[in-house]
Amino acid sequence: MAKKVYLKDSETLKVLKKKVDALKILSEISAIISSTFDLDELLTIVMEKAKGVMNAEACSILLYNKETKKLEFEVALCREKATSEILKKKITLDLGQGIAGWVAEKREILIIGDVRKDRRFFQEADNITGFVTKSIIAAPLIGRRGLIGVAEIINPKKKEYDLEVLQILIRHFAIAIENAFFYKDAIERERLKQELEIASSLQKSFLPDSPSFSKALITVSAVNIPAKQVGGDLYDYLDLSGHRMGVFIGDVSGKGVTAALFMAKIISDFRYAAGAEKTPDAVMNRLNLLFSRAPRGMFLTATYLIIDAFAGILDISVAGHPPCLWITGNNVEALSVDSGPPLGIIPEKYLSERVTLSRGDRIILLTDGVFEARNKKGHMIGFGNLVKFVKDHVREGHLPQKIADYVRDFSKSVEISDDLTIVEVGYGYEGAQHG
Amino acid sequence: MNIHIGDCRGGKVVAISGEIDMYSSPELREQMMNLIGQRISNMLIDFRQVSYIDSSGIATFVEGLKSMKNYGGRLRFFGIPQGIMEIFSFSKLDRVFEIYGNIDDAINS
Repeated sequence: MAKKVYLKDSETLKVLKKKVDALKILSEISAIISSTFDLDELLTIVMEKAKGVMNAEACSILLYNKETKKLEFEVALCREKATSEILKKKITLDLGQGIAGWVAEKREILIIGDVRKDRRFFQEADNITGFVTKSIIAAPLIGRRGLIGVAEIINPKKKEYDLEVLQILIRHFAIAIENAFFYKDAIERERLKQELEIASSLQKSFLPDSPSFSKALITVSAVNIPAKQVGGDLYDYLDLSGHRMGVFIGDVSGKGVTAALFMAKIISDFRYAAGAEKTPDAVMNRLNLLFSRAPRGMFLTATYLIIDAFAGILDISVAGHPPCLWITGNNVEALSVDSGPPLGIIPEKYLSERVTLSRGDRIILLTDGVFEARNKKGHMIGFGNLVKFVKDHVREGHLPQKIADYVRDFSKSVEISDDLTIVEVGYGYEGAQHG
Repeated sequence: MNIHIGDCRGGKVVAISGEIDMYSSPELREQMMNLIGQRISNMLIDFRQVSYIDSSGIATFVEGLKSMKNYGGRLRFFGIPQGIMEIFSFSKLDRVFEIYGNIDDAINS
């Protein structure tokens, strides 16, 4: 049978009552901070509660930026809104600098009754904001992955408080803030994933329906492998008037949705210009003018060639794009063409050069993603090695696919960070002699 | 990526270290456009500590170049590491940007 306990000692009663009150506040705050995953909202709630519990003049949270290794003011609550804004914009602390820096470095709670007597006090914040700090409680916020930041309760009027309860409260804050971070990251990752899916389907919709095309003695085949982040590669082929055919390859600056949207404009502008102009240089000049007003410095590297499908006469114009490879017999060389800068940057007069192909010749157009692919050690394939690979496989068929396989093999176990596009233009090319 | 902005003979020197890519270029853009908003007449970009740049990073500088040209400002690069210089030459961007070996050559040009 349980014994009845009679509490007669008023002191004990007082202490117990305080504990109960403190625990009430704790459970209340726990419920509130568990109610939101919104980081900004949570930080404000946390600070308001801490300020209320301690009857403080101001409160702030400095978050630890792992990249810069600095503490940055994230939330500051005080009577003057302007003070909060100044703190957020202007003040960062190194680990070890000021009271918050000391707390972050030592990971210990610090209670200072008179900051003027403490050498660690960082006067600069008060100087900038005009706020007067007299006393401070600063506590490290430690999560499962280490330091999150520092919470500061400034000029608390409440002199009697239970340190143990305060520390439990701070631990609650840290866990809630960390959970909000995880949630924010998860939401951001999901948003990016959706954006990349949109970009990827947009990009695919701009490319030709079929990866191969032929006209008279010309055959064209292409391989395009979009990177996970969706780069800005594009290619197109056009059946032009007479015996001519146009082949275009380009690479838009940037990645993701922005690049995919710019590609939409490029493809429609290109098709219009290619229909209106007779020579590759005239098409390039027109596109350069059209893209000169592209936002955010966006530009395009490109190669456009027009080929006579019977005579094998090829006119080519290049705007900052990697050289094509010319395969004639067993010989492979980079086609030397005087290139202008990428399109959309500066006024420029682009030129065309003429090359006459022999029957059986092939031209390989590609984007920089092909030879800038990296392996596990961070080494790039390089243009020279790519030329060597083509030389070694020159007598085999399906070269675009073989090049793509070579790049994938070289970069195995590394995520390909840029699109790969390889377009082969054959003139009277009968396919592989063997292999 | 880290950015340090200093003064040098009437111009601003923007020293960048690390990788300039699609993730870091928005911060570079913010700092550059802030200076351009103040109509800085000379901006020098110190590339000595840049380990990598992708087309997003180059586009940021293209935007800076175009914005500065609008009011007669000059954007100059110096100390470009060899690997990055190859990308610039290969893409004919060496015809777009003013590129110098060191800060003195850039300032005295």
